[in-house]
Amino acid sequence: MTPPVLSVDALSVRLNMAGETVDLLHDLTFSLHKGETLAVVGESGAGKSMLTRVLAQQLPDNMQVSHGAVYFKGENLLALPAKQQRQITGREITYIPQEPMVALNPVMTIGQQFSEYLQHLGMNKKRRHAETLTALEDVGLQDGASLLKRYPHQLSGGQCQRIMIALAFISQPALVICDEATTALDAVNQNRVLSLIRRCQKKYDTAVLFITHDISLAASLSEQVMVMYAGELMEFGLSNSVLNNPRHPYTQALMQSRPAITGPWQPLIPLQGHMPGGSELQQLKGCRFQSRCRFAGEDCTNRIQPRLLDDDSHLVRCLITPSDEYHPSSPDEEDTFSEHYALGLLGTSEPFLRAENISKDYISGRFARRSRKRALKDVSFTLAPGEFVAVVGESGSGKSTLAHTLMGLEKKHGGQIYLHDKALGHSESEWRRRIGCIQMVFQNPNSALNPARTTASLMTQPMEYRRFLPSERRQRAQALAHAVGLNKKLLPCLPQDLSGGQRQRVNIGRSLCDIPQLLIADEIVSGLDVSVQAQILNLLLRLRREFKISLLLISHDLAVVRYLCSRVLVMHQGEIVESGPPQQVFSSPQHPYTKTLVNASRSAEGLEPVQ
Amino acid sequence: MTISISMNGISTTLRRAGWRLLLGGGIYITLFIVALLAPQLAPHAADTQHLEQTLLPPFWMDGGHTDYLLGTDVLGRDILSQLIYGARVTAIVVVLAPLGAALTGSCLGLMAGYLRGWTEKVIMTLVEIWMAFPSVVLAMLLMVALMPGFTSVILAIILVDWTRFCRVIRGEVITWRDRDFVKAARLSGASHLSVMVSDLLPVVRPTLMVLITLEMATAIMAESILSFVGMSVGPDTPSWGAMIARSLNTVFSAPWQLVPPMAAIVITIFAAMMLGTGLRFSRREQTATGDEVLV
Amino acid sequence: MLLPPNGSADELQRLRAALGLDQPLLQQFLIWLKNLLHGNAGLSIRSGEEVSTLILSALPVTLQLVTLAILIGAGAGFISGVLAFRYRFTPVRNSLEVTNAMALSVPEFLWGILLMLVFGIGLRVSPFFGEVDPRLMVEQQTGFLLIDTLLSGNPAAFLNVLSHYLLPSLALALAIAPTLMRILYSSLNQIYASEYMRSARLRGLPERRLLLVHALRNAVLPALNLMSVQAGMLIGGTLLIEKIYGLQGIGSLMIDAINNQDLPVIQAVALVYAICVLMINQATEWLQHVLDPRAGV
Repeated sequence: MTPPVLSVDALSVRLNMAGETVDLLHDLTFSLHKGETLAVVGESGAGKSMLTRVLAQQLPDNMQVSHGAVYFKGENLLALPAKQQRQITGREITYIPQEPMVALNPVMTIGQQFSEYLQHLGMNKKRRHAETLTALEDVGLQDGASLLKRYPHQLSGGQCQRIMIALAFISQPALVICDEATTALDAVNQNRVLSLIRRCQKKYDTAVLFITHDISLAASLSEQVMVMYAGELMEFGLSNSVLNNPRHPYTQALMQSRPAITGPWQPLIPLQGHMPGGSELQQLKGCRFQSRCRFAGEDCTNRIQPRLLDDDSHLVRCLITPSDEYHPSSPDEEDTFSEHYALGLLGTSEPFLRAENISKDYISGRFARRSRKRALKDVSFTLAPGEFVAVVGESGSGKSTLAHTLMGLEKKHGGQIYLHDKALGHSESEWRRRIGCIQMVFQNPNSALNPARTTASLMTQPMEYRRFLPSERRQRAQALAHAVGLNKKLLPCLPQDLSGGQRQRVNIGRSLCDIPQLLIADEIVSGLDVSVQAQILNLLLRLRREFKISLLLISHDLAVVRYLCSRVLVMHQGEIVESGPPQQVFSSPQHPYTKTLVNASRSAEGLEPVQ
Repeated sequence: MTISISMNGISTTLRRAGWRLLLGGGIYITLFIVALLAPQLAPHAADTQHLEQTLLPPFWMDGGHTDYLLGTDVLGRDILSQLIYGARVTAIVVVLAPLGAALTGSCLGLMAGYLRGWTEKVIMTLVEIWMAFPSVVLAMLLMVALMPGFTSVILAIILVDWTRFCRVIRGEVITWRDRDFVKAARLSGASHLSVMVSDLLPVVRPTLMVLITLEMATAIMAESILSFVGMSVGPDTPSWGAMIARSLNTVFSAPWQLVPPMAAIVITIFAAMMLGTGLRFSRREQTATGDEVLV
Repeated sequence: MLLPPNGSADELQRLRAALGLDQPLLQQFLIWLKNLLHGNAGLSIRSGEEVSTLILSALPVTLQLVTLAILIGAGAGFISGVLAFRYRFTPVRNSLEVTNAMALSVPEFLWGILLMLVFGIGLRVSPFFGEVDPRLMVEQQTGFLLIDTLLSGNPAAFLNVLSHYLLPSLALALAIAPTLMRILYSSLNQIYASEYMRSARLRGLPERRLLLVHALRNAVLPALNLMSVQAGMLIGGTLLIEKIYGLQGIGSLMIDAINNQDLPVIQAVALVYAICVLMINQATEWLQHVLDPRAGV
């Protein structure tokens, strides 16, 4: 039997911090055969990218491999002389990066970058051009010749993505590593990219190591799944078996914190606490998950070896196998919501906000070169108090434009918005009325939180522009911290000292300061780890219960929409093409565009498409 | 007990500040003390002429005299005393000119960066026209127009160097102005003025601080150049640049005269550079947390 | 000046009227501007010569000085920046860093004096006054002595002129090189952290090529930008350097004019300076367009 393409054996990577050492990767073992796909799943900090660094031989100076070996086609990669290692990197092992737009050198043409690479591979001048064109054709770029003369900034994100895939497969490598290559994409585009990678993989019989944070995506596209937590392998097995019958408490928790796109509505049970890192790891003995584990016992502080389960292909690093039958939800959790409540079936009340025939154009260029692009076209909808409504659609469909127009950050060109039956204008007093009732939670807390303000000052910023006593402001800050589930000790901290989830809480807290009637939330959970995402989703449900706010959720994640909202508006090219309760829209979509959207999401979950 | 805690506090503050900040700060504190206590410290009055003892070398060289530690100039004035009195000009210039330039430049820079539109166009056109004139030439022209004197020197430096603040602060504001926190502040009910003052100013403050230290260096250079060509403070106020210009006339017979004023200028400029680098480094340490390694 | 010291008040009045000095300042300036458009920059109040002749005879000196300074300064800054980065994990970097900090702390006119003291007066290895040895006769053709000596086929004179220009242009170069090195170093640092460098390295390209082709082409752009900002500083630096080294360029002209309150000359020279700065800015902008495909889209 031929040796596996990649085989990692008891690998540990050690970090030296001021004389103290921590194993950032600990005792990692797995193997990957020719033509197979292995998905590595974990939240941020799990050590996924550390693994790529080891394979690329690019560990920072303060880290080194302290134990174990990495075999590539039977040879120990770590023991090879530097020259041979370089022969392998970029030729036998290639990479598809996360952000294609910034992964190409901006001052070189696409052709120059291809030809330079092929020259490095030792290909003569004549063949280079032809090879490049074939490779581009393979990834669906027909107009290769003209593309090669262009610079990266002249290409679209999709084209760049395809070029990166072409570059990764052109050397016919034995192993391709995809590092979160589809994370920033919506379901439709993600599907296109994945099928492209799969096609290339099949053509060259390449092994693919797929690194992602999305466990259901991982299971849908690969034969095997490896779940990592805090630098350790927690569970390894065939995709079906891990997805349908997770045996490690962490994997189970991950599954329970992801909303589903089908089946009955179930409350999410988010993991509390955070993943240990750096110095915390040093203190930790035994299982690295124990502090957040529901089943943790005294034995968990002992060193735990991974063990094979009954069917021989399923590996778990846990002493107990919680229950042989996996129960997706556990009824004993305190913080549960009934579906009735969660979906806001509170009885009908009069809508307080009506948008009628809103339209908006983007005008670019001047005079003769002036061109108009329709961004919104006759968009109408209503919102009642306490109602959660979602707007879905792929990027560029006008979702965010709608949010900004509603908030008054962009001007509309037609139609009317009525707030409490009074049309909203653009005067100063109207602006006050608008921001008193409507607030917005921005997508990216890194951009939405002023780095020079403390948590308390951020959350109570609206009070800064009216007369309040400092003590009142302090009290409000504490109340808000309580409302969004933030520890009071964090109030004097700057955003840079907070974790991603905490930042998003501050971000939400700020918009709640004056208790608006409507929150507009633009993709607020995309990019968060699943357990944090679950916390934020449940927080939104709780805020509705406490403050009776309504929510306009802009999202591309249909499962999230289904979990939160009682109505969904599907947008396509600036128009609302379909609307209704998510259950109904997602199970029997009418409009062809809605069908593609739903099917793309279903396929990422490994489900059959709807008719 | 309390003493040990406060000592501890001081030492951590010192460590965090880094040796560059300490060195730069130390040199400036010395400069200010010397400038303040000049009449007490100087062994002679700056303008007393000892015509029988001209062009004396420093005391350790042949023919030197311990009454005149660093020697005398062509009119027999004590070089050390001139150096000490000259520190006064430098001390005042190094404080007021950067502050003035920072105030003017960053106000306009904030406005240009945040308000955009025609405000930005007008301000940036002004900056471009301004910068087309080499700063030395502009400073000299201003001095011709303003009449020599302390206020004029400071005013001239401010009028020449505000453009640098304006350009850099505007550039920095541009990188921040499209962040969502600006929109969020507006949604919180902030006026445009309060967005600039209480949201944008704090985020550009670190850059502003570094710029101010650089401007301290530039101000010293500018003053020394102006006094070198005799266009700074009047001839009866001692200044380092003027000392260099005078000693250049006797450079063949007494080259050592050049050394003290040159060293004084170079050291103060060097100290300003150290402050700037130190500030930049301490900022970098703040943002680099241990968690970064893990991501 | 144009008047004998014993001239009467009446004579003075007549002269003032002739020179237009009896008009308000703004009007004087506007008249000067109008004349300028007709190619007439007026007369020097001090010497009575045509301002344009004065400037044309002085300009070549300054231009040669600036060109040499840019060549030396940009070359030194560029090479030391790349070297410092290439050997950033070795003592080479630290020594370059220290040299750099020292060079930055000395204003260029002090460099002028220092170089003169050390190489001119102390070691006597280089001439330090004037443009050329007065004993050498050079036929004037273009006014640019470096070119004239070459045209007249006199290599000895060429070297002599070059040696006269060496110290002053070195002093000016020392003002540009350190900042250039800094910006090059820090932008190389930034570029090395970028995603496209990471991707290129993961493609297995050799380090040499990564630095010299991928990183450098991107790092040159901010450095060019800096050069255009510093153009003003460089040109301004010539003022004192010319004075110190006794070069009869427009800087010396300017300082003399300022000392004599010779307004027409001051105005004209200031204008020439501004034009020089704008031309350097244009040149760097043009280079930027050539080197950066993203510019000007």
